[in-house]
Amino acid sequence: MRRAFSRRRKPWFAIAVTVAFFGMLYLPIVVVALFSLNSQKSLTVFKGFSLRWYRAFFADHDLIGSLGFSLRISAVAMIGSIVLGVALALGIVRSRGKLGSAAGLVLLIPLITPEIVTGVASAMLFKGVGLPLSSGTVMLAEVTFSISYVTVILRSRVAALNPEVEEAAMDLGCSRFQAVRLVTLPALLPAILASAILIFAMVFDDFVLAYFTTGVTPQPLPVRIYSAIRFGVQPTINAVGTLMLIGSIALIGLALLVPRLFGRRESLSQLL
Amino acid sequence: MSETSAVRLDGITKSFGSSVAVDDVTLDIRPGEFFAMLGPSGCGKTTSLRMIAGFADPDSGSVLLGGEDVTYLPPNKRNVNTVFQSYAVFEHLSVADNVAFGLKRRGVPRDERRERVGRMLDLVQLTGMANRRPRTLSGGQRQRVALARALVNRPKVLLLDEPLAALDLKLRRQMQVELKQIQREVGVTFVFVTHDQDEALTMSDRLAVMNGGRVAQVGTPEDVYERPADAFVAGFIGTSNVMTGTYADGRLTLPGGVSLPVPSRLGLAAGSRVGAAVRPEKIWLSDFEDGMVQIRGTLRETVYSGATTTYLVEIAPGVQLSVLEQNIDRSRREERWTGGEIIDLAWKPEHCLLLCETA
Ligand SMILES: Nc1ncnc2c1ncn2[C@@H]1O[C@H](COP(=O)(O)OP(=O)(O)O)[C@@H](O)[C@H]1O
Ligand SMILES: [Mg+2]
Repeated sequence: MRRAFSRRRKPWFAIAVTVAFFGMLYLPIVVVALFSLNSQKSLTVFKGFSLRWYRAFFADHDLIGSLGFSLRISAVAMIGSIVLGVALALGIVRSRGKLGSAAGLVLLIPLITPEIVTGVASAMLFKGVGLPLSSGTVMLAEVTFSISYVTVILRSRVAALNPEVEEAAMDLGCSRFQAVRLVTLPALLPAILASAILIFAMVFDDFVLAYFTTGVTPQPLPVRIYSAIRFGVQPTINAVGTLMLIGSIALIGLALLVPRLFGRRESLSQLL
Repeated sequence: MSETSAVRLDGITKSFGSSVAVDDVTLDIRPGEFFAMLGPSGCGKTTSLRMIAGFADPDSGSVLLGGEDVTYLPPNKRNVNTVFQSYAVFEHLSVADNVAFGLKRRGVPRDERRERVGRMLDLVQLTGMANRRPRTLSGGQRQRVALARALVNRPKVLLLDEPLAALDLKLRRQMQVELKQIQREVGVTFVFVTHDQDEALTMSDRLAVMNGGRVAQVGTPEDVYERPADAFVAGFIGTSNVMTGTYADGRLTLPGGVSLPVPSRLGLAAGSRVGAAVRPEKIWLSDFEDGMVQIRGTLRETVYSGATTTYLVEIAPGVQLSVLEQNIDRSRREERWTGGEIIDLAWKPEHCLLLCETA
């Protein structure tokens, strides 16, 4: 009786830890989102709902310029890393030699290197080769460090492809290159789209690498926000943060949805 | 044979690392014939087919299609098409687009394409499925898509790699008949790979029996069944009773001293160990005729299987023959033996084959 009773007691400690964990994780975000709607400038007292900080953001040419720049970086990183990452995944899987497996290992290094190291190293490299930091350098850095993600996602999909399908295309008159274009890439399309969206979202809110590799103007949005809060937090920043959050959630949702749009069973979590 | 072969393999050899997958294979496949390549798994059937299609280069030897040397031409430059073992259907395309794929590559105009695809879908009984996605098809239907996709290009030679292996027995039987009909209708040379001896015997005009990368025998189904070239073919095609013993002067001595007349062979030294094979259905149990080889044995087992009954008879210590009888007269079994009896068996001398022992 006693044991049955004690077993039925709620695990209060576990519940407390869980609540604290999710509280620390999400409360600041909730506060930011809430205060982006505050009608007053205060960051501590909520006075009522208004969209004035969103209006202020859209009227701020500086911030809008940074937003546009961030979108451009993300687009370039997405396209560049997809083209190179898919080609690399095909190469690694198809080359059975030592080179392929070595490349597969080297590929994992960017995923585990602390981003601060990556950032500092990139900045030093650009300085070393005499390349002044600019919009070009930040794009180059973001493309480079996104390739690993694309390749890691795509590699298992490529390995799972039936090699006879590409051979069938060649049997029916395709050259090797045409077979890849007409048969292999369409088969990989869901995984390609999902990783494209993922890269876009990751690069868009990347701060560390962007901070070390971008020029003075224009600044990517996260870097711009960072410099802004050094001179005191404006409620406008809450609005920007909330918008970025919504954008990211929408993109991740889209990435999860893509495979389903193709009527395939695999989801992004399986792809990863 | 003055006619040029549809396919000629001339001493092709292919190794992977240190293992030889295809070992000095020479074959002539005639235009319009249904040719089967039969052998156990791993004997090099797929590798041979891949060299005809152009997916693998032989280490030595050459591949000729219609007399033209294509040994080093890429697959897209060869007038052959393949039905792959996995079917390799293009999942992102509809059934009609799958079938039209090769025609489109070759720049066949749209109207002609549509017409040929339509006719091909009728031929393989996929009428009305043109717009379906492969994902929604059954295994048998996917197999038909793969067949139509290859045949629509009117290749000189169609290569089929175990196309029916993944189908269940009933569907397989049905497709065997259909494939044969389709082949007659289109008149294309079929090279059909299978490990199923029934399939090879019933479908092919001629077949090559392969073993360990080599061709053991080429011939009509009757040739390889009635006159197997060696012990491997005799054992692999159908069931054979192989008796091993010592040969001397046209007689084979089995363990225990039992001696049988066998076809004599010139140049075979007295005392050689050889095998003699007799098919179970060639052994008689009654109504013996003059000139038959007659022998006595002990009945060990009777296996009744509806249309036929199999008797296992021990004719020498450790040498059992299986004997197949048709149950033409139903009552016959009931008045026959149950086990332990001494019975007489006989076969015509020409039905006993002396096998050259393969190493
Ligand atoms: N790509 C390959 N790499 C290494 N060994 C192979 C390869 N393809 C086939 N083999 C080997 O060659 C032999 C013949 O294979 P295969 O032609 O596929 O036989 P089958 O089709 O008759 O079953 C087998 O021992 C197989 O393991
Ligand atoms: Mg095979």
